[in-house]
Amino acid sequence: MVQRYGDVAGGAEAHARALVNHLAPHLAIEVATTTARDYWTWENAYTAGLTWVDGVPVRRFPIERGRARDFRLREHRAFAAGHSLADELAFVDAQGPVAPDLRDHLLAHGRDFDHVLFFTYIYWPTLTGLPLVPERAVLVPTAHDEPAIGLGVYRPVFHAPRAIAYNTEEERRMVHRRFNNERVPGEIVGVGVDALAGEAMRFRQRHALAGPLFLYVGRIVESKGCRELFERWARWQDGSPQKATLVLIGHREMTIPERPDIVHLGTVAEQEKWDALAACTALLVPSVLESLSLVTLEAWAASRPIVCDASSPVVASMARRAGAGLAHRDAAEFAAICELLMERREIGEGLGRAGAAFVARTCTWPSVVEKYLDLFAEVRARNA
Amino acid sequence: MRRRVLVVVQRYGEEVVGGSEQHARLAARRLAERHDVEVATTTALDYWTWAPHFAVGTTAVDGIPVHRFAVASGRAPDFKAFERHVLFEPHDAADEDAWTTKQGPHAPELLEFLHREGGGYDALLFWTYIYEPVARGVPLAPERSGLVSTAHDELPLRLAPYRSLFHLPRAIGYLTPEERALVHREFRNEEVPDVILGTGLEPPRAHDAAEFRRARGLAGPLVLYLGQVSEGKACDELFAAWAAFRDRHGAPAATLVLCGTVRMEIPVRDDVLALGRVSDEEKLGALAAADALVLPSRLESLGIVLLEAWQVGTPVLVAAVNPVTAGQVRRAGGGLAYGTPDEFAARLTALLTDRETARQLGARGRAWVERECTLGAFDRRLDELVDLVAFH
Repeated sequence: MVQRYGDVAGGAEAHARALVNHLAPHLAIEVATTTARDYWTWENAYTAGLTWVDGVPVRRFPIERGRARDFRLREHRAFAAGHSLADELAFVDAQGPVAPDLRDHLLAHGRDFDHVLFFTYIYWPTLTGLPLVPERAVLVPTAHDEPAIGLGVYRPVFHAPRAIAYNTEEERRMVHRRFNNERVPGEIVGVGVDALAGEAMRFRQRHALAGPLFLYVGRIVESKGCRELFERWARWQDGSPQKATLVLIGHREMTIPERPDIVHLGTVAEQEKWDALAACTALLVPSVLESLSLVTLEAWAASRPIVCDASSPVVASMARRAGAGLAHRDAAEFAAICELLMERREIGEGLGRAGAAFVARTCTWPSVVEKYLDLFAEVRARNA
Repeated sequence: MRRRVLVVVQRYGEEVVGGSEQHARLAARRLAERHDVEVATTTALDYWTWAPHFAVGTTAVDGIPVHRFAVASGRAPDFKAFERHVLFEPHDAADEDAWTTKQGPHAPELLEFLHREGGGYDALLFWTYIYEPVARGVPLAPERSGLVSTAHDELPLRLAPYRSLFHLPRAIGYLTPEERALVHREFRNEEVPDVILGTGLEPPRAHDAAEFRRARGLAGPLVLYLGQVSEGKACDELFAAWAAFRDRHGAPAATLVLCGTVRMEIPVRDDVLALGRVSDEEKLGALAAADALVLPSRLESLGIVLLEAWQVGTPVLVAAVNPVTAGQVRRAGGGLAYGTPDEFAARLTALLTDRETARQLGARGRAWVERECTLGAFDRRLDELVDLVAFH
C-alpha cells in the first residue's frame, strides 16, 4: 500500500519500489496504489486497474479528491494551538489523496494477504486503510519530526499495526517519544543501496565542468532546505578566493539563483547520478526534515562524505554514527567545512571510506530483505 | 496509587437501565473510593432513540462529576433498513462507518472533549465497544485507554469501525473468559493485556422465602425465571421445553414463576405464573424460595441473575448453547446446562427430585460468588485494569 507507485519522484515511493522488487523473489507480492503521479495535486494520471511494474502486479485505484484548494488554510488551522478534532479531520481530507475504492479493496481483500505493508504514515490511504487490517499490518512510517505527526488522528496509525519497520534509530526514538507506542514491535530495517560504479571524468566532460564540485541531489524545493543552501553557498563563494561549482540534480520546484557557479542539470539517468557522485568533493544535504536520506547512503556507497545541517536530527545523527560527514550550524561553518574538504582531500577521503564501510555494514539488500522477512514471520506467527 | 480516571460510556445515571451502563456506574462508584473519577457521557436516557433527557454540562451523580455532551443525532430513522443493507447486501467501507453513526449516539462534542482533555487523565476507561463514543474515542488516546468491551457474538462486531478497536487500548477488561476467547478468535489481539473483570455484588439484603410463597399463594416446587420475558431472551424456547417436560407422564409437580416485564404472550397453563416486575426485596425472596433458577438466553454478556441466585444458594439451569452462562456454571459448579428439550426435562427432574445434589450445587455457587464476586474482589480487578492502563 503506497500513495503513488511506478515512475514517480519521491524518496518514500522510490524506497517502496526498490523494496518491493527485492522482496518479490521471496513472496507473492502485489501493490495497491492510486492513479496519481504528482504528490501535490494527486491528479489522476495513470489508468485505473491492474498493470505490471517491474513484473509485479500493481492495482491502481482512482482518486476521488486530490489536494483541496484550501489545503494551506486547513493545514494552518490543524497545526494551530488549541485546534479541534474536526480541524484535524479536515486537514487529512484536504491533504488527500482520498481514494475510497482503494480502501474498499482493503476491506474486501486485505485479509486475503498474510501481510499488508503500508508506506508513509501521513496520507489518507494509510490513515484510513491500516485500521482495517491491523493484525497483519506492517507500517513503514518514513516519519520525521514535523507538525503533522503531532496530530491526534495519527495515534491509531502508530498503535494499531502488528509491527513497525523503522528506517533509522533516530526515527524510532522520535516515534516512541511522541506516541509511547513501545509495545508495538519495531525493527530498524533500513534500506538497501543499489550502487553503480561511477566515472567522474565522463561526468565532467559531458557537462564541461572543471574544478571542485559540490553536489545536491533531490527535489529542489524550500522544504528540503534549498533556500538556506543557496544563501550559504552565495555568502561563501562571494567572499572567498576558493572557487567551486554547485551541481544540482533533481526536479526544480523553486527559483534557482542565476550564478555561474550554480549548475542545474534537472533529473538525470541513474548512471549519471553515480558519475556525479564520483566527481564531487562532497554531497550537500541541507534538509532538516528527513526520516532517512537515501541519497546520503548513495554518497557513502560512492565513498563520498556529506555536508549536512547540524539541526537535522536524523541526517546529522547518522553522519555522526557513520563518521562520514560534517555538520554546520551556520553560514560561516558551512564555508569553513567546504574549504577544508577542498584543501585537505585526505579528510574527505577518510570520511568517504567510513561512509562506504557503514553502508556495507547496514545497507545491503540481503540484510534488509532478511529483516523484513523476519518481521513478516513474526506477524504470521501471531496470526497463526 | 491514586489516579485520575475518566469513565466514558454512552449513557449514565441512576435512572439508566442497561447491563453495560449499570456495570460502568458500579465501576465508577467503586473506583471513586480510591481514585479521582469523572464520567463523560451523553444527555441520553433511552438507548434506542438517544433522545436528550439530561441537561448538557457537568453535574454530580453519587458525588462523581459527570460531563454530559449533546447528542447531535440519535438513531437514524432508516437505521433498521440501513443495517440490513450493511449486514446482508453488497456495500462499501463508508457504509460500515456510517452504520456506527446511524446507530447513535452521535456526539461530536464528547469526542472533542476527549481530544482536548483526554491527555489530562491517567486512564480513560471506555464501556461498550459498539457505540460511537467508544469506537471513535479509543483511537484518540490509545496510549491511555482501557476498553470494557462487553462484546458478544453478533454481526456488527465484524464491521470496519471495530477492526482495529480491540488492538488499540493499553488493556482490555472482559466480563468473562468466553468474551475474551471470542475477541481473541475474531481479532487476534492476544498481545493486548487483559483482566477478567466480572462484576461485584452487594451482600444480599434481608429476604424471606416463606413470605414470598405466602404473599403469592405458591406451594410445591418452584422454578424461577427472572428478567425480561421476551423472545429475544429465548422465553419461547423455555415455554416449549417447559410444556414438554411437564406434560410427560410422571413428571414432578412444579410451577414456573416468571418475574419481569412481559413482552410476549404467556402460555395459559396452571403451572406457569407471570408476576410482572417485582421489587428488589421480593426478587430476593423469590430467588431464595425457588428450587432452581432457569436462564434460557442465548446471548448474554454476563448472567448477573445467576450470581444473584447463587448468593442465596439456589442452583441454576442454563442453555448450553450460550457459552457465557454455560461457562459461568462450569466455573462455579453452581448448576447444570441443557441442550435439547429432553435434556431440559432430565436436568430439571434431577434438580427437583435429588434434593441433596441440588443443595450441593447451590452451595458451590454460593461459595464461588462469595469468593469471586464480592465488591472487594471486584475492586482488586478494577485496580489491576487501571494499573495496566495508567499512563506512565
